[in-house]
Amino acid sequence: MKYRTQRIAYPFFALSMLLVLLQIVYGFIMAFAHMGYDGLHDWIPFHVARSTHTNLLLMWLLSGFMGATYYLVPEEVEHDIISEKLAYVQCGAFAVVGVIAIIGFHFSWWEGRKFLEIPRPLDYLVVVDVLLFLYLTGMTIYRGKRRTTTAMVLYFGLVSMALLYLPGMIDTHHQTVDSVWRWWVVHLWVEGVWELIMGGILAFLLLKLAGVDREVVEKWLYVIIGLTFMSGILGTGHHFYFIGLPSYWLWVGGIFSALEPLAFLGMAVYALTLARKGGRKHPNQNALAWTVGCAILSFVGAGFLGFAHTLPQVNRWTHGSLVTAMHGHLAFWGAYAMLVLGIIAYAMPNLTGRKLYDRWYSGYAFWASNIGMVSMTLALAAAGVTQVVLERRAGMDFLLVQKEIQWHFLGMILAASLFTSGMLAYVYTFIRYGLPNPEQFGRSAYDQELGAASAAGEGAVPSPT
Amino acid sequence: MLSRSQAKGFFLVGTVLAAGSFLALTVDSFAKVPELTNEKALDEKVQLGKAVWDRSNCMGCHTLLGEGGYYAPELTRVYERRGPTFIRAMLTNPEAMYPGQRRMQKYKLTDQEIDAVIAFFQWIGQMQLNDFPPRPILMPVATIGSSTVVKQADRPKLFNQLCIACHSLEGQGGAVGPKLDGVGSRMTMNQIDVWLHDPGKVKPGTAMPNLGLSEESIRELAAFLSTLTQGGTPPVTPALRQQ
Repeated sequence: MKYRTQRIAYPFFALSMLLVLLQIVYGFIMAFAHMGYDGLHDWIPFHVARSTHTNLLLMWLLSGFMGATYYLVPEEVEHDIISEKLAYVQCGAFAVVGVIAIIGFHFSWWEGRKFLEIPRPLDYLVVVDVLLFLYLTGMTIYRGKRRTTTAMVLYFGLVSMALLYLPGMIDTHHQTVDSVWRWWVVHLWVEGVWELIMGGILAFLLLKLAGVDREVVEKWLYVIIGLTFMSGILGTGHHFYFIGLPSYWLWVGGIFSALEPLAFLGMAVYALTLARKGGRKHPNQNALAWTVGCAILSFVGAGFLGFAHTLPQVNRWTHGSLVTAMHGHLAFWGAYAMLVLGIIAYAMPNLTGRKLYDRWYSGYAFWASNIGMVSMTLALAAAGVTQVVLERRAGMDFLLVQKEIQWHFLGMILAASLFTSGMLAYVYTFIRYGLPNPEQFGRSAYDQELGAASAAGEGAVPSPT
Repeated sequence: MLSRSQAKGFFLVGTVLAAGSFLALTVDSFAKVPELTNEKALDEKVQLGKAVWDRSNCMGCHTLLGEGGYYAPELTRVYERRGPTFIRAMLTNPEAMYPGQRRMQKYKLTDQEIDAVIAFFQWIGQMQLNDFPPRPILMPVATIGSSTVVKQADRPKLFNQLCIACHSLEGQGGAVGPKLDGVGSRMTMNQIDVWLHDPGKVKPGTAMPNLGLSEESIRELAAFLSTLTQGGTPPVTPALRQQ
């Protein structure tokens, strides 16, 4: 690593690894319950498992984003993070709040609002923690030697994310108004400002891995985030079709949701083109696979599968069915999970000086988890479409339909087992890397392989000499 | 070719336009919410109902306005579909209502809280939701050869709300209890009357709960059920299964 304080990323990445494994456990609890095996019902009923599963996802992704930011900012702005100690405090506080929230769910301490279950007192702690994070990274950028578009887009995404957390804390007795504010947080996060964070991290990875010209990368970054906001903000309308709001949202939401895949398509074309044209044969092909895979699967999961059921004509049948769960899985995996796994795969050799990216288990981690996740999505698609046809279109009783689709959850569990084996391989690789190595300060793990040829490239890392 | 500053301009202008339109539409929507959602009916009782709904994390399994967990039934029109009697029985003891089926957590709710949840569902059910949930358009095709759709109108409302949740008639309904086709040939009106007062008393250990029906409801249901004789309906299983 070029800067000593980049090692702050490590505990955030480690926290992500822990939480993702826990998330998978709760996923299995839910899949088994769907198959009729709800043996844990008395201790962990489905709704507890569900809230825990989704909140763990949010937490490990956020932890990954924060770790990525601490890793990326010093290198981009050429300045150490202003206080390493405070950054560790911020990491610890985040972990503590997360753990309390998850334990609290098991004792019915929550708000009972999908995705935003974290109880109010903890919300305030999250706000304080995020403010500290934004202060530390913001001041670093402010004091930095240069201000790159990549760092600014990432930071703008992070600030907007913090601001958009606030509407979720507006109290109301009205179910419709409650939903509107909830989507302001959830939709404008994942189909808005998170894409900025994604764009920033992806740009950084492409600069490093493909060695492309910064001018080109950052120009197209603007175009992509422009497309994101133009389609994504009004695309919030696809959540407003059937919750008691005016019918013009069917038009607005329908049209702008249909445009949302463009941003993801742009991201995929951008990553593929730059990765091919970059002209650098980066030694860490594993990190490049995660990066390009992220751009492609985010288009498939978030872009295409989102489009497939947000047209109002389709959504009136699929709204509130397992079709949404199908889209949700591949969207979060492709867009955000793979991104975090990509930056970790890139950063770990630099942080520790070890090179495990050519080992069989890091390759296995990539393929098994991806094939597993795509298969899980297919199983959920079969279950979702069957549910829509039988229950919504033919009017069959809910529980009868659930029995009809139980077998698809066996498929889901098998696919999830493959996925889990991949994730275990990923975490194993992470553990094998060990802790950040002080001898690595000012060095790059990729120096030797990249050689002098790339010294002129933007991604070039200074050699210790 | 596009320059970097043009790209930046595209981003800034696009974002401002989109955010501006979104805010304007949101303000307009909030102005229309009271009428679309019958907000004048949103009294303290309904508010308590929503508080219980949130506190119990109902959304973690059920969906309401299509939003929730996809593990338990959609409840937007549950007041119309099942009626207050069923909802009350369900909230009092869910597993008695669906023995051996997918389980719902038993919450310790007071009578006042149960009333509030029912009022909350009633309020939600009156919202204008752009035709959600849609009517099952394939139902007449799926039940071809049966007169179910036509006949449903002739049945007592309570039958369509309550009995059908667990029992089926002419292929429509639940599969928790036995089919009710031909029940009039198996039991007399009087027997049905006694049964509905307290199933467990007639047959100890039966899976069917005491629904706490009123005398009037029992009379209406018994009269209707006793007309379901074997002749007029498709072939049915000879005896009451599972009992």
